[in-house]
Amino acid sequence: MIEVQDADGIRTIMLSRPDKRNAMTPAMLDGLSDAASGHDAHVVLLLGEGRTFCAGFDLTACRDDDKALPALLTGLSHAIRALRTGPAPVVIGAHGAAIAGGCALLGAGDIVITNNDAKLGYPVVRLGISPAVSAPTSVATCGDRRTRELMLDPKLIDGATALRMGLVAESLAYADGAIARAREVAQSLAAKPPGALARTKLWLNEVEGVRGDTFDAALEASLALVDGEEGKRMLAAAWTS
Amino acid sequence: MSTDGKTTLTVSGGVARLTLEREEKRNALSIPLLHSMHEQLDELAAHDGVSVCVLTGAGKCFCAGMDLAAILDEPGAAAELLSSLAEATLKLRALPMVIVGSVHGAAIGGGCGLTAVCDLAVTHPDAKLGYPEVDLGVCPAVVAPWLVESIGAGAARRIMLQGGLMSGERAYELGLVSHLVPREEMDTTVNTIVERLSAAGPKALAATKRLLNELPGEGLAAAVRKGAKISAEVVAGAEAQERLRRRRA
Repeated sequence: MIEVQDADGIRTIMLSRPDKRNAMTPAMLDGLSDAASGHDAHVVLLLGEGRTFCAGFDLTACRDDDKALPALLTGLSHAIRALRTGPAPVVIGAHGAAIAGGCALLGAGDIVITNNDAKLGYPVVRLGISPAVSAPTSVATCGDRRTRELMLDPKLIDGATALRMGLVAESLAYADGAIARAREVAQSLAAKPPGALARTKLWLNEVEGVRGDTFDAALEASLALVDGEEGKRMLAAAWTS
Repeated sequence: MSTDGKTTLTVSGGVARLTLEREEKRNALSIPLLHSMHEQLDELAAHDGVSVCVLTGAGKCFCAGMDLAAILDEPGAAAELLSSLAEATLKLRALPMVIVGSVHGAAIGGGCGLTAVCDLAVTHPDAKLGYPEVDLGVCPAVVAPWLVESIGAGAARRIMLQGGLMSGERAYELGLVSHLVPREEMDTTVNTIVERLSAAGPKALAATKRLLNELPGEGLAAAVRKGAKISAEVVAGAEAQERLRRRRA
């Protein structure tokens, strides 16, 4: 469900579960973390197979398994961290939709491309889940004001709005165009001197100031709600609605 | 020809004008130019009664960036140049008066860094701005903290990792400059801004700027100084040396 291909200095990581709109399981998130670390590619290109980039967590596993939601949140935190802290710049082609956990991955990207009609956002407080896990990278990417709007008001925005808010670098007219453009940006970065590129990314990480303890605190904030009455009730209601 | 370059400072009424003067090299930042700039920044810092300073470049463009290729064979020169740039940006930001950048033609690399340090900056739509350092195997580490502070980390990543140059229009959209006008209206616009600032209470302006300078805390200055070390390390590496030599040839 995670496909990896290395070519010409680019590690392409594909979320590959198109029949479920690439909804992520704990195993997929672990696979994503593994794919994002321990390689010597100069650029990482993250894409989703099929009609959309990623619809978020696959919550069906949470219906019968209390451990599934914490595993998903922890897996997401680790994946964001692996993508962000690796020296290779991360280009993401977020076509069609990047929702909840899928939108959270965008904060880990250095250059994110979407399309104007794509649906993006974190509507997870509707389910009693906190998107805090991805707040540090979101604040760093599009600022405090925008992150509050995105995370506290549970709505979806389109790609053109995401561009205006600074959540993405570019928004193209069509989904196919977004993927093609992401490939083009990855190729252009791979043609640059890799040492300077990696050092510049790591220095920007340091200047930005999202450190290990920031990632940990954000994950703790999301995990703290998992066993609460509100989360259980609202998530259970989602199965019957 | 790394030994030339200077800045000139004129003060008239309450308005100062600091000009990069190395026209034949498009005002590329050399050690002598920055040395001269340091002296004049110190002079300005002690100058009472000046509430606005215009930073500009002589000739066709504001500043073509750091002249790294010229000093490849001088041991320690790149580190000295980068450290001098870091300290100059800190002095420029710390000045009590409001700094207005008049950015015409081009502001590249370190020149674009100076633009980010100005309180206000005016450019024109077809000016060329940007941080092409990564294309040369160099890391824009000194100016990265200023750019992150000025336009946010997300936009700074997109610009610095993709290298290349952008138009004045794009720089305005990103908030890297505060004013965008046709090139022929640059001088008039800068003068209008200067007049407006001069009419404001000088103590109120200085107090406001001082507070804005304090908000980022001590970390910003530490990051700018550390940036000079990182950048010098990267410049000394084979990747940058090879590209800079090719460029000089």
